[in-house]
Amino acid sequence: MRRRGVGASAITKKKLEAVRYKEHGNELAMIQLDQLSGQLETFHSHLEKFAANHKQEIRKNPQFRRQFQQMCATIGVDPLASGKGFWSEMLGVGDFYYELGVQLVEICITTRPQNGGIIAITELHQKLMKTRGKYAQDVSIDDVRTALSKLKLLGTGFTLLGTGLKQIVKSVPGELNMDHSAILELAQKSNGKVSHADVKSVYNWQPERVQDVLEHLTKEGMAWVDTQTPNKETWYWFPALFGVGNNK
Amino acid sequence: MGTTSNFRWPWQYDFPPFFTMQKNADTRFKQTEAWCSLILDYHNHHKLFRLRVTDVLASPLFYNKAIDRRLTKPDVIEILSILHKKGNIEWEDKEKTVCKVFWKTPAQWSDIIFKWVNQSGLNNTVCTLHEITNGPHSSDQEFYALDDQILMQAIQILQASGKAELMGTEGVKFFT
Repeated sequence: MRRRGVGASAITKKKLEAVRYKEHGNELAMIQLDQLSGQLETFHSHLEKFAANHKQEIRKNPQFRRQFQQMCATIGVDPLASGKGFWSEMLGVGDFYYELGVQLVEICITTRPQNGGIIAITELHQKLMKTRGKYAQDVSIDDVRTALSKLKLLGTGFTLLGTGLKQIVKSVPGELNMDHSAILELAQKSNGKVSHADVKSVYNWQPERVQDVLEHLTKEGMAWVDTQTPNKETWYWFPALFGVGNNK
Repeated sequence: MGTTSNFRWPWQYDFPPFFTMQKNADTRFKQTEAWCSLILDYHNHHKLFRLRVTDVLASPLFYNKAIDRRLTKPDVIEILSILHKKGNIEWEDKEKTVCKVFWKTPAQWSDIIFKWVNQSGLNNTVCTLHEITNGPHSSDQEFYALDDQILMQAIQILQASGKAELMGTEGVKFFT
């Protein structure tokens, strides 16, 4: 018997098989893609529906707004990305943060003569609420942070230093390095004042380093020098951090 | 009339370094400007027209007892010289120990007085200087109890523009 070699028909059959497999694979992929995009669409429309249903809530309730934003962020939607797109048109949130941004800039500029361009975030928030008046929608500190983060696009003008409620907003250009921030943090704990000895005992820096940092902050108009102190030491006071707790 | 108790001190008054003259030029400018308005507001509130440097150093204006901070004499003189340049004070002696404080300038006083003359129909009549600042018709006016010398300066401004004429040293005739 003649050993069966590879016949022409077998080759065509194999080729045909491969083509079929490929076709089938493509089909499957198409189905999956369809399903996936379908799912995404449903999700998107649901999110839209959710947003539409809770429009008022999102606008009015700062906590809800924050959660909604976090939810959007996890699926890669940024409702603040532009003033035009669907989201901002539907919710008006884009404009909302632009408006906040403008108000925040105004506050920072008007208080600059007093505080040399640094202000505690809590005070900024309080002043914002005051300028917006009683009837405007509620604004949380998180909203302030979001609005400020949008301002960052404008350059190094607006920076947040520190963390949490102790954060300080700097609205003047020029860099503050870690040392400067460390001093501000320390001053914040004692009604807006630090002395050489305070800094040395907390951070254990060389006297020259302490001197350098304090001089810089004075030169920038952020610190005021006080020589009439009970212990005859020179104290450095920050108007921005003075009396923030016991507000007037 | 104002009382000591309800004068509203600016926030700087409780800010300890406000009482130490600042070396940074920008900060110092803010500081002296704040002192200038504080001095004028304080005198306005208490209806004071004169400032004696030696007396005022120990007064609440320049000495905040609660935080134990005070402005020294050279600092006070420096701020007064700024007020002098702005036309808000006038030294009465060469040694600069006493000055008149114009929380309103004589020109502003003259406007206010002339407005009052028009409103109360005193044009073309003769008034005594005393009745302008202490009479029954002006008891509700800002210039009530105004300092005699400042009143005289204000009347002289009106005289120079032809709105009034001094009659002797005690009286004045207002025109229209």
